Amino acid sequence: MKHYLLLFLLGLVLLLAGCVNVNQSSENSSSVNLSNSTINSSICGVSNNCNVSSVSNINKVEVIHFHGTNQCYSCKTVGAYAEETVNTYFADEVKSGKIIFKHINAELSENRDLAVKYGVTSASLWLGTYSNDGKFSAEQNTNVWYKIDNKTGYMNYLKGIIEQKLAGN
Amino acid sequence: MELMAFMEAMGTSGIPIIAAFFIGLMTAISPCPLATNITAIAYASKRIDNSRHTLLVGFLYTLGRMFTYVAIASLIVWVGISTQAISLFLQQYGEKILGPLLIIVGIILLGLIKFNFSQKNDRLGSLKEKLAHKGFLGAFLLGVIFALAFCPFSAVLFFGMLIPLAIQAGDGFVIPAVFAFATGLPVILFSFLLVKSVNKVGTIMNKVQTFELWMRRVVSIVFIVVGAYYTLNKTLGMW
Repeated sequence: MKHYLLLFLLGLVLLLAGCVNVNQSSENSSSVNLSNSTINSSICGVSNNCNVSSVSNINKVEVIHFHGTNQCYSCKTVGAYAEETVNTYFADEVKSGKIIFKHINAELSENRDLAVKYGVTSASLWLGTYSNDGKFSAEQNTNVWYKIDNKTGYMNYLKGIIEQKLAGN
Repeated sequence: MELMAFMEAMGTSGIPIIAAFFIGLMTAISPCPLATNITAIAYASKRIDNSRHTLLVGFLYTLGRMFTYVAIASLIVWVGISTQAISLFLQQYGEKILGPLLIIVGIILLGLIKFNFSQKNDRLGSLKEKLAHKGFLGAFLLGVIFALAFCPFSAVLFFGMLIPLAIQAGDGFVIPAVFAFATGLPVILFSFLLVKSVNKVGTIMNKVQTFELWMRRVVSIVFIVVGAYYTLNKTLGMW
């Protein structure tokens, strides 16, 4: 009986700890003003048909692989294949600065602002688009996670997505 | 059609409930939830003499997971709490606490530490004890706690795929509940099959009681091993 009580108490502590943080988070969220942008970018990520037609004149595209300090196998693969895609198919754009690829550890304090800007919630691949008139839009791509056992399929898919971004679609 | 292509087609389905179910199945077989689910299967299979009991324990474990996922999703969808804040917090602390916790539970189940109960006359106490003895309360709480332990990949599936789906549909209950059911489904199925087969062998050999004693020991060891997995995983970052 006692060990169930122990389990219950520990569970309660976990939940309470979660709640306390939730309250703190809700206070913080207003200061960083991310709630709506996070939700919008996440929705785009699911449907993968995020409408960025308003950004027709593309200045640069950022492809960012966000991860934690402790990375899972799939997380590393998603990042590695994305990097290879960019280096293989967009070498000229990388040289000219039109495309930027980064692996970013979202847990490090120096990357916090960038993680907040993108609305990162977990290990993820994001495409950030900057237009010539200074507009920024971010889209998480979750489909890549289903393609990590098929490198060619992954790279072809992501190549198409990046091309769309460069074209302002 | 390849399995992953099928999972992708289903997981990105235009019908949110179907998508949620398949994202849940993906979660159930991803490394961390798989480890916790194996522990839960062992826990649900503790009493090998009764497969109905095992099914109930499996359902209560799934209900526990449901409680956690629905709570988190409702906070985000209806209360408007930042996904980023909850997600980063749970990923940072959830699994850190889980490893040592499982080891402690395993040691207690193994009987290395014994407790004396002094409140047996208390009515509520005895009801609680009855529930706990049957493993129902424990199963529910295991579900609640295990669901809180987000590993990098399960966080991707929950916060990166399921939550946006729930936000888009404005539903903080049905979508996470369906997802939770799918994450617990392997536990219900496998523990039921395990109990059925072990019980059959035990009956044939006329050694059900001996099998049960060993089952309890195996369960304890599973807890300790999975606890060690979590502790090492977090320390060494192997997965």
